[in-house]
This record gives sequence, C-alpha cells and structure tokens, in this order.
Amino acid sequence: MAGLTNTLAGLDPLFLNGVTLEVLIIVLVKVVISFGVLLVSVMLMVWFERKLVSDMQNRIGPNRAGPWGILQTLADGIKLFFKEDLQPDSSDPFVFKLAPYLSLIPAFLTFAIIPIGGNFSDPSDPSKTGIITLPDWLGGESTYLQLADPPVGVLLFLAMSSIAVYGVMLAGWASGSKYPLLGSVRASAQMVSYEAALGLSLATIFLQSRSLSTHDIVADQAGAGWLGIIPHWNVIVTGFVPFVVFLIAATAELNRPPFDLVEAEQELVGGFHTEYSSIRFAMFFLAEFMNTVTLSAIMVTLFFGGPAGPILWDGVAWLWPILWFLLKLFVFLFTFVWFRATLPRFRYDQLMDLGWKVLIPISLGWFLFLAGRNVVDDRWPNTNGSLFSVEVLILLGITIAILTVGALLLYSAIRNAAEKRELEEVTF
Amino acid sequence: MESTLGQYLPVFALLVLAALFASLSFGASRLLAPRRPNDKKLAPYECGIIPAKDTPERFPVRFFLIAMIFIVFDIEIIFFYPYAIIHRGLGMFGLIALLIFTAAVFESFVYLVSNGALDWGPIKKARLLSPAVSAERTTTSTVRKVGLEGRYVPPTSPMPDAPEEAA
Repeated sequence: MAGLTNTLAGLDPLFLNGVTLEVLIIVLVKVVISFGVLLVSVMLMVWFERKLVSDMQNRIGPNRAGPWGILQTLADGIKLFFKEDLQPDSSDPFVFKLAPYLSLIPAFLTFAIIPIGGNFSDPSDPSKTGIITLPDWLGGESTYLQLADPPVGVLLFLAMSSIAVYGVMLAGWASGSKYPLLGSVRASAQMVSYEAALGLSLATIFLQSRSLSTHDIVADQAGAGWLGIIPHWNVIVTGFVPFVVFLIAATAELNRPPFDLVEAEQELVGGFHTEYSSIRFAMFFLAEFMNTVTLSAIMVTLFFGGPAGPILWDGVAWLWPILWFLLKLFVFLFTFVWFRATLPRFRYDQLMDLGWKVLIPISLGWFLFLAGRNVVDDRWPNTNGSLFSVEVLILLGITIAILTVGALLLYSAIRNAAEKRELEEVTF
Repeated sequence: MESTLGQYLPVFALLVLAALFASLSFGASRLLAPRRPNDKKLAPYECGIIPAKDTPERFPVRFFLIAMIFIVFDIEIIFFYPYAIIHRGLGMFGLIALLIFTAAVFESFVYLVSNGALDWGPIKKARLLSPAVSAERTTTSTVRKVGLEGRYVPPTSPMPDAPEEAA
C-alpha cells in the first residue's frame, strides 16, 4: 500500500521516511555512479562521433590510442591538462573564468532527472512502476533508477538549458575579442529562439501525461497502445509532429550541425570559445557532448517510453530496461552524428525563419488541436466504437478552420514584412 | 513537504561534485601547464592579423530584439504548462479560455512578424536584376575594373555617370 501512495505522489520512495544516513549513502553512490557514467559516455560519444563521421567520409579516423582508438578522447583530455592556459589581456578576468562553470554544471545536472532503468510495464502493480528494491545485504531500501525525481522535473531541464545560454553568452562577451562576441550573440539568439519551439512541443507531452515529473511521464507511457502491438509512447500518442519539432529544436539547442552557426569556422574561427585554451576549452567541449548525450536521453524519456521494453529473460530482469534505454539512446546519438555527416549548414536567416515562422506556429497549432481533442473526447466519449464520431469530425472541421485562419494571417504578415523591406530598400 | 525537498538532494550533490570536478581540473591545469605568456599570445585572436580596431562594445540591435521577444514568448509558453496538466478537469471552459489566450499570443506574434522584427539577412523577394549586373552580359559589364567605372552608383552620389553610359 505504501508503494501505491508513493506512486500516486510521484516521488522517489527513497526520501519518504526522511533523510537518514542510509539514504544519504545511497544518494552519494548514485551521484558518483551517474557522474562517472556521464564522463565515460562523453568520452565514448566523442570517439563514436569521430569514428562514424570518418567512416561516412571514407577515412579511418582515430586508431592509435587503445583498441580502435577508443581511448583517443582520454588522450586528448590528458594532453589538454598540459597545455598553456591563455587569457587575453582584453578579457574580463572573473567572467572569463566563470563561463566554463556555467556551461559545464547545467550539462551535468540535466542528467539527474532521467530514469535510466526500472520496470515500468504495469502501472497498477506497485512493484512495476520503476521502483528498484535493493537486496537485503545492501540495506533493502527501494528507490528509482534515476538520480532525482522532482515534481517539476522537466522544468529543471528547461531551466538548465537556459542557464547554459549564460555560459555561452558570457564566454563570448568576456573574451574581449571580436569573433567570440559575434559567435556568442549568434548562439544566444539561436538558443533562445529554439527554446520557445522546444517548450511548446513539450506542452503536448504534458497534455498526455498530465505531469511534469519525468518518472510520471515514463510511467504514463507504459502499457500497450493501439491494436495492442503499437507501444503507447508519446511519440505516437502526440502524433509525431511534436517529436519532429523537438528533434529539430534540440539539434539547434545543442548547436550541432546543421545548426552549428555558432562555430561556423569560415566566419567566426571557433565561435564563442575561440579565446579559450587548455582545460578551459576542454570544459566547453565536455559540456557540448554531455548535452548531446543528455538531450538524447531526454528525448528517449519523453517520447520513447524511457526504459520501456520487453523483458526477454527473467534471470536479470533489472538489466533489460537499462539495455532498452541504452539502445534507444544509441539510436539518437547515431542520428545526431548522421546529421552532422550529411546536412550542410543553414544560413542565419534560414535558421531564424525556421525557428520562429515554422516551428513555433506548427507546435502552437498542434498543441491546440490535441487539447481540443482531449476535451471533446472527455465531454462526448466515443462509445459506439466507430473510428470517427460526429463530434470528432466537427472538432476536425473547427481545427482546420482555425489553423487555416492562423496560417493565412501569418502568411500575409510575412508578405507584408517582405514588401515593407523592399520599399525601404534595406540592403545588407 | 520534507520529502518533496528531499528530491533535490541528489541534484545538489551532483552540482557540488560537478563544481568540484571543474575547479580541480582548473587547479591541476594550473600546476601542470607551462606559463610562458607573451604579448602576441595575449592579444585577441584574429587569425594572425594585428587588430586594427578594438572589440566593439555594441552588437546589432536585432539580437537584443530577439532576446526581448523571447522573454515575452517564454512566459506565455510557461502559462500553457499548468493548463496542460489540468486541462481535463477544466473541460470546455478551459479550452475556450485557452483559445482566447492563444489568440492574444498569436496576434502579438503576427504583429511582430508583419513589422519585420524577425526578418534577417537579404531581402527574400529581391529585385531580379540588381543594377550592378546589367541584362546584357558583356565583358564590359561582367569584368570588374578598378575604380567606380562599370559599377552601380547610387543616384544621390555626386558621380554623374550611370553604369550603362560608362560602358
């Protein structure tokens, strides 16, 4: 019964009886493990990206340090410790040193809200809602396989990605150099623009899961969906559009190709971290790749059911969810590298147009449509078993009418702006 | 309530660990790395060119505009979240309220777009033929010469000769 109450409260059962020494030790062990896992995953991700890109470009890639060059990142990291750390005369000393912290720490913290394991298969069974009970010789406490489960988990992710903008902005500004300044204003404008689209596509998730806690969102996606075969994952339930918007916005948020205008080498040398050398540069690099890993994990959590998947062999039942999670994560990491190897970089105006004039209106319209569908579905439940009830058809009609009016308004606004600019003969 | 705050304990622990990791790395680098600064190393990096001007303290106002628009939109988006969480309880009333709210958000968005606040870069529907490139493409019109000859001169300019006449 206690387990059920905990599930309803959506809180990690570890903390329900206060914070004792035992709890503290478990927390510390979890923190240290996820810290280590993050660092190792970044190490592997950098190697994986270099190796995969070189495969796609018909090169060999790193192959000296360790088997298949797998230790290349470690070697690079150690090398950077021994490199001279320069700080330009014109820089602002305090902010220059502060910026790497502001980039790195949010990258670490985002990972805290991601459930990486636990059996979520049955919401009605308290033992199958992601709770892991340690064996008796380890204290017998039960907990989630996720570092923290605050009730506003996804807001924590949004907050961290906002703080990361400060890291980028201040790094460029404090360098006292031209290219970093340009790179950082570009980066901040790009990141805040796409954060709006990101936030709107997230709202559709909350429509379905009715919770901001990542654990609840994963638990909500458990069970079978349509026809009993298709999973009840948010990517399908919300109708693919929010996922596509989220994937594009996430790529832009990460400043990864094809949205890597921040460090467009031909124009801006290295972007906002041009003036950073040695280990300070390594921190930015680390944060960048760590964000790639954590944002992929966020996508798996929010859209692809997190660690959900069939348990094929009961012997190591606790291991299967982790394996499924890693498999889904890997798909996204591969996708990001694939983007980089395949797609040419956007132009800045194309980037801004895509963010503001395409993604934001689309996700806003989709959000309204889903909210309307849910409300109509509650008010007039579809009991006669047909696929399209009259109410749903009426709703569809109203939705299409509203969306058409919105699209026309937006189109005429864009035309209007273009005509105005031509009249003013603005040239760049 | 205590249990709710307890959820943040691991986040805080991870924050401390990450900060410790970063500062220890900087400390280690301070011990291990050589320090041989000179004027050239400490100058702003500009691909080897000696900087002719100082770094500007201003940047294009467009970026600033984006930041302000973002703040407005972000707050509006945050208002969607509580609605999304409890929209099933609010029913039709909530949906209509949401529609009115969205209309207000969208209206301001359309206003911004129509005033060109979100326009960047070159004009999209640019004049098909810029005066700098004549329709008759001859060597005199396509091969650039030193000086203003053959180039487009704005009408207000004191230079009297128009591009075609010069050719």
